[in-house]
Amino acid sequence: MSAENTLPILILAPLIFGGISLLLRSARGALRFCAAGTLATAALAGITAYNVLRGGPAETANGWLMLDALSAQHLLAMITVFCLSSLYALIYFREEAADGRLTPKMAGRYGGLWFGSLAAMMLVLVSNSLGMMWVGVEASTLMTAFLICIHASPGALEAMWKYLLMCSVGVAVAFTGILLVAAATGPAGLHGMDALLWTTLMEAASRLNPMMLKAGFIFIVIGYGTKAGLAPLHNWLPDAHSQAPAPVSAVFSGFLLNAALYCILRCLPLVEAATGNEGWGRSILVIFGLLSILVAAAFIVMQRDVKRLLAYSSVEHIGIMALGAGIGGAGAAAALFHLINHSICKPIAFFCAGRIGQIYGTHDLPGLTMIIRRAPVWGAGLIISLLALVGVAPFSVFLSEFLVLKAAVDHSLYVVAALFLLGLGVVFIAVLRHIIAMAWKPAEQQAGPVKFSLPEALLIFIPLAIVLLLGMWIPGPLLKILSRAAQVLGGLS
Amino acid sequence: MIILLDTLLVTLILTGFLLLGSSRLGASIRISALQGIMTGLLPLALEHGDLFSYVSLLGVAVIGLKGYVFPRLLFSALRESDTSREVQPFVGYMASLFFGILFLMGSFWLDTRLNLPVHSGSDLLVPVAFSLMSCGLFLIVARRTAMSQVIGYLVLENGIYCFGLAVVSGMPLLLELGVLMDIFVAVFVMGIAIYHINREFDHIDADRLSALKG
Repeated sequence: MSAENTLPILILAPLIFGGISLLLRSARGALRFCAAGTLATAALAGITAYNVLRGGPAETANGWLMLDALSAQHLLAMITVFCLSSLYALIYFREEAADGRLTPKMAGRYGGLWFGSLAAMMLVLVSNSLGMMWVGVEASTLMTAFLICIHASPGALEAMWKYLLMCSVGVAVAFTGILLVAAATGPAGLHGMDALLWTTLMEAASRLNPMMLKAGFIFIVIGYGTKAGLAPLHNWLPDAHSQAPAPVSAVFSGFLLNAALYCILRCLPLVEAATGNEGWGRSILVIFGLLSILVAAAFIVMQRDVKRLLAYSSVEHIGIMALGAGIGGAGAAAALFHLINHSICKPIAFFCAGRIGQIYGTHDLPGLTMIIRRAPVWGAGLIISLLALVGVAPFSVFLSEFLVLKAAVDHSLYVVAALFLLGLGVVFIAVLRHIIAMAWKPAEQQAGPVKFSLPEALLIFIPLAIVLLLGMWIPGPLLKILSRAAQVLGGLS
Repeated sequence: MIILLDTLLVTLILTGFLLLGSSRLGASIRISALQGIMTGLLPLALEHGDLFSYVSLLGVAVIGLKGYVFPRLLFSALRESDTSREVQPFVGYMASLFFGILFLMGSFWLDTRLNLPVHSGSDLLVPVAFSLMSCGLFLIVARRTAMSQVIGYLVLENGIYCFGLAVVSGMPLLLELGVLMDIFVAVFVMGIAIYHINREFDHIDADRLSALKG
């Protein structure tokens, strides 16, 4: 199968699976179908990405669909997040499905929305047209909105409304930016559908109207930045992440944010090429990146809810990716490496936090004590993944953060490097304090340890082992993928 | 054609003002429907040459959605809740109108400064687009009920649609349909959300949804 043939199927398959899910009559059946369908889509996506990474970019459907190294790399991260989360959903919803809190109808709707959001994010990644990319981002907002309130509690509804409104308005602003980009093609003589195809725009980059393109890029960064959770546009994020069921939080944090950031990254080489590679567009990303890291650090210090803590940590990590891409060169490759590490690590942290929340009946940090003794797999998983996320060596997150820092110093951006280190240091200390309390603070009342099964342990510890391994040794093929993807960003030559 | 176009644009500005000054939610929905129909008619009044069938097809789709489907959806959500008017908005109605005039003046000023390459027949199109966009954003932040915020979102969308007509010469049909479908689903989802919020909280006052902090 060539990549050209499989690209349309990647969008259609989840849509069909979603339709089938709506018809299923049993809660457990729907969840199992969810996992099976996600794995099937992931297999196809994996083959497609492999073909593209070996044979070069694939284009089909008159140029509307396109997959190159950058999107293939994102695609691999996305399927990892979706596969892990759909398997975890079987564990997370097991009790709820057994005692009827998750009715068959709800489970069917969950499956439909799950595949719907998979299809929407797939559309973002395989679209060549900036407009269709926008359609995908907006569709993913709408599909995921109801996933937040599978259980219609007041908190979930509030989070959902905030998410829906802020992201819809933000993404509408991004559309204004896309219109401005289309208007910038005037001097290049592009018309109709050519005006928004990324490949065509890149070829004509030197003939575009730079002023118009700059204005468009500002709108695009602000608009998609709202969805990506870049501070100060991140207000919806902690609410939505903390109120959604854990498998959904994992998808939100692991890839939904990256899908929006991807749209900004797509426009970055365009604006750089059109403005003569002076680093104008990249400096905007540096500012937003640093701001996100520092704001997230401030909120992490005073956080009392474990899922909100993880949500602010996502703001921090998205900031690190934006910062790396903004520094450019080796920084762009480091940012893409960081994306992979974050997309493996963060879902695991949400999985463990979700189960611990179910076991303890609360997400309040002061109430979570002796978690390793009470829930060996989930407690140890949460603590290891938190350690990895704050950048303890030798986990790979440390390596990618170090590479971003090195890129900043190599480009003589000393102030940027200092602020970056400050943010990381504050987060490190604040999270470490919580980790120590969760692991060793004596519990008020003793309860026996919760039983766990082998699949649960494997689901948590295999990905964590991979993150550990990546921190010590990056396989050759992965390095090649990262440098190819960074080339698309105009970073490495 | 230019007279028809300018009439439509002036009506768009007026509907924006009406929305800023109206406290009854039912009336606001009707006005936004009228505004939707006007934006749907706009491309028909523009110069389009050989694209007539394509433009009219799109116009019909826009008018059908914004003039009929959206108001019906919003009315059914409104009927479920007991709310019929906006109580104590953050910014009063007279002040809102004053802001509307400021937005309009600002839009004309911005238009002279930006020098956008405009394809359309009327010089009014870009200022009207800017003023609708700012009106929409203002409605979203200055009103309390979830319903008014949805209406604000629709006004924002109408503004962006006008802006697109002004600066882009003909977008591909597939893309236009994709965008329309997204807006349709957005309003649909927001309508259902209002229904759920009303059932859970007994009000649709988005300002009082403030339990989640920090």
